[in-house]
Amino acid sequence: MSTSSVSEWITAQREQRTLQDWIQDLGPFVMLFGLLLVFTFTTERFFTEANLLDNVAKNAVTLLLVALAGTFPILQQSIDLSVESVVLLTGVVTVVLIAQFGMGLLAIPLAIGVGMLAGLFNGLVFTKLKVPSFLVTLGTLSVMAGVGKIITGGSTITFRNPAIRTISTGDVLGIPNLVLWGLLIYVATIVLAFRTKFGRYCFALGENERVVELAGAKVDRYKIYPFVLSGLLCGIAGVLLTLRISSASPNIGSGLLLPSIAAIVMGGTALTGGVGGPHRTILGVLVIAVLNNGMNLLGIDSFVQEIILGLVVVAAVALSIDRAKIDVVK
Amino acid sequence: MASEIHTEAMDADRTSPTGGGEHSFRVEGVSKSFRHVQALEDVSLAVDHGEVIGLVGENGAGKSTLLNILTGVLQADAGQLYVDGEAVTFTNPREAANYGVSLVHQEQDVITTMRGYENLYLGRELERFGVLEKERMREDAQAFVDELGINIDVDDRVRNYTFNERQMLEIAKAFHVSQKSENPVILLDEPTAGLEESGREILFDLVNDLRDRATFVFVSHELDEVLQISDRIYVLKDGERVDTTTAAEATTDSLQQAMVGRETADEYYRVPDQQREADLGETAMTVDGVTHEDTVGPISFSVREGEIFGIVGVEGSGKQRFGRLLAGDLDTTQGSVSVGGTTLQNPTVSDMVDAGVGYIPKDRKSEGLLLYQSVLVNTSLAMVRDMNGNMPLLDLAAEEEATLNAIEELAIKTPGPNALVHGLSGGNQQKVVIARWLAQETPVLVMDNVTRGIDVGAKEEVYRLCRELTEKGVSIVFIGDELPEVIGMSNRIAVMAKGEFVGEPFDASPGNKPTEEELIQEMI
Repeated sequence: MSTSSVSEWITAQREQRTLQDWIQDLGPFVMLFGLLLVFTFTTERFFTEANLLDNVAKNAVTLLLVALAGTFPILQQSIDLSVESVVLLTGVVTVVLIAQFGMGLLAIPLAIGVGMLAGLFNGLVFTKLKVPSFLVTLGTLSVMAGVGKIITGGSTITFRNPAIRTISTGDVLGIPNLVLWGLLIYVATIVLAFRTKFGRYCFALGENERVVELAGAKVDRYKIYPFVLSGLLCGIAGVLLTLRISSASPNIGSGLLLPSIAAIVMGGTALTGGVGGPHRTILGVLVIAVLNNGMNLLGIDSFVQEIILGLVVVAAVALSIDRAKIDVVK
Repeated sequence: MASEIHTEAMDADRTSPTGGGEHSFRVEGVSKSFRHVQALEDVSLAVDHGEVIGLVGENGAGKSTLLNILTGVLQADAGQLYVDGEAVTFTNPREAANYGVSLVHQEQDVITTMRGYENLYLGRELERFGVLEKERMREDAQAFVDELGINIDVDDRVRNYTFNERQMLEIAKAFHVSQKSENPVILLDEPTAGLEESGREILFDLVNDLRDRATFVFVSHELDEVLQISDRIYVLKDGERVDTTTAAEATTDSLQQAMVGRETADEYYRVPDQQREADLGETAMTVDGVTHEDTVGPISFSVREGEIFGIVGVEGSGKQRFGRLLAGDLDTTQGSVSVGGTTLQNPTVSDMVDAGVGYIPKDRKSEGLLLYQSVLVNTSLAMVRDMNGNMPLLDLAAEEEATLNAIEELAIKTPGPNALVHGLSGGNQQKVVIARWLAQETPVLVMDNVTRGIDVGAKEEVYRLCRELTEKGVSIVFIGDELPEVIGMSNRIAVMAKGEFVGEPFDASPGNKPTEEELIQEMI
């Protein structure tokens, strides 16, 4: 095989995509479309503007933000398991600042700042103490949930401030603000991933850290940034969520971790790092949001829903993982 | 061409010692294609008991495909394998091992957290009532390696083994899995790639000691090694066998000619007019007493613009660590480096790149390249550091331009800037690593064995590239294991031993080159 025939071979491989490639690329679309069809014909209310906008889209935004948050650490071959606790903590902080400290808009950047600090802490322990990110964030998942719950005193806390609430509950030309925030941040993460040095290094670090280091990058710094970004996005999720319902219960955010990771992987970001990106994470998010909503409309028992969701997640991930690149699954 | 071509009939004259006139191992008309590409076409070879066979060819000539077919990893489209005259078909490596055919991988295939004997018995553990018989395995394993003349402690964990010992363990494993066969065939895929001089000698001694007990097939890019160890040599080119020759009749030149199909040059760097009397400029880098703990240094020297400064030394001389030290990858505990007007004390890699020093590591796959990213991403990996001033956005157009320029200037054979580096040949991959520093016009390059593991044609291109760079005023610190290469390329050569330079660097200007012997005398 001469060098030129090697390039021919690569081109040929490009042309002859395997079934697996097609499943990976089109799988989430097919699944989403299938679910839309099924629920449109099995329920009367599913395919109505009220349901799609007020229920599906609005509910999807929190999951979208958390899944986008989780995408960047996974791209660089780490993982952030603390996402749902950051949502809880920042949500609780938002309510306390508004209700007990009488703050207005200032509560929002402060709460988001708490999220970023949580991310910074994760990143620092991960890089400086060289603790695997899996363990650091598993620990902070528990720590931050505990702190958040202590602040609530164990019961739902509420605030009254209709003006601030409109940030989340208002609408522009009939489209809910919440959905607009979600889309805006979605676009911003795509720009971050594909048009900035930060994004480039995320992908590169996910494949081989030594190469990036020897090319002169300040590696530690770029390993911390994804965690700070994750804290930022989860903070925004926490704020928008509490503004929407003007309260924070001790278990807001819980149950987001599994579907968020499922959405990321369904979207094509490999847990082994280096491939994928936030642009397709939204597909996985929509699949899960539609499934949730449809099952509610069909009146399926919520415990049964948990079982179905879990099965769908495993099945979707099994279909979308590129097995050719994985030698051993651990 | 110096060597004459041997015919099948001549090969057949060599009957195996076991009698019957059959070769111990024979491959007949094997072909294999991958989609549109014919990787192997009608390749035949025959091996007798006790022979060491060399197998050479450029990257992509079909060597790996052939090895994979011989060990059952791949199945041939056409053709037949024979072991002791019996037609066999291998559908997996275990079946091949049952017939005594096994492969010692280029990348070491041992589990470092396990003990030596556990690796030896991996997948074939001795059990009694479902419980491992550790004691018996340990004793048998030690007796087994002792008997082969391999000096390793099988009870030690493999992570404590030296690189050499791991390889010895792999060879022992190859014998171990083919115990049932009276005549094992052991395929060595570039076994010397990670070894330095002393390791090579140990390996060759072992192969020579064991040649009565097995047949070895030795695959390597290093033609002088192939000539040294082999009885006969097969040459593959573009998936076909183009030549068979006895080692006694072949020379590196004749092999090269057969491999690339034209008169070419490993000689390239020796041709006098290829290296002009250097028109050296200002001092580009001054190294002042740099030291790393107590393993490297203190070392002082300076390199001028357009100069190639060679560094040679035996294994453990510290030349590789010194390269890392210059790259900022090891702590500089004492001394300083001055480049482009800045003096750096204990710089990081990032500091050195800022100052204008780029490092090309010895192992491009693990340290040089993002294999599953595009040529563009790999090429621009250093230049994106300070792209667009302080703006966070990348300048994609500039990246693409730099990549296209590099592809043209360096003649990188790739389907395009967005093709994955993984699919390129070794030589083209190495050019991508070099392109990374060209893209940001790095004035000083530290190269550690820059032509390692790439084929003859690509080596020639890399030599020419280095020369072109020096004409533009780039300085190169050229660390190498291949003495002729370093001698041919360099303007001056320093010999390292025990972490320091031995005496003053040799003058190596054209017409005034030191001989290999002169360097070796200083090295040991």
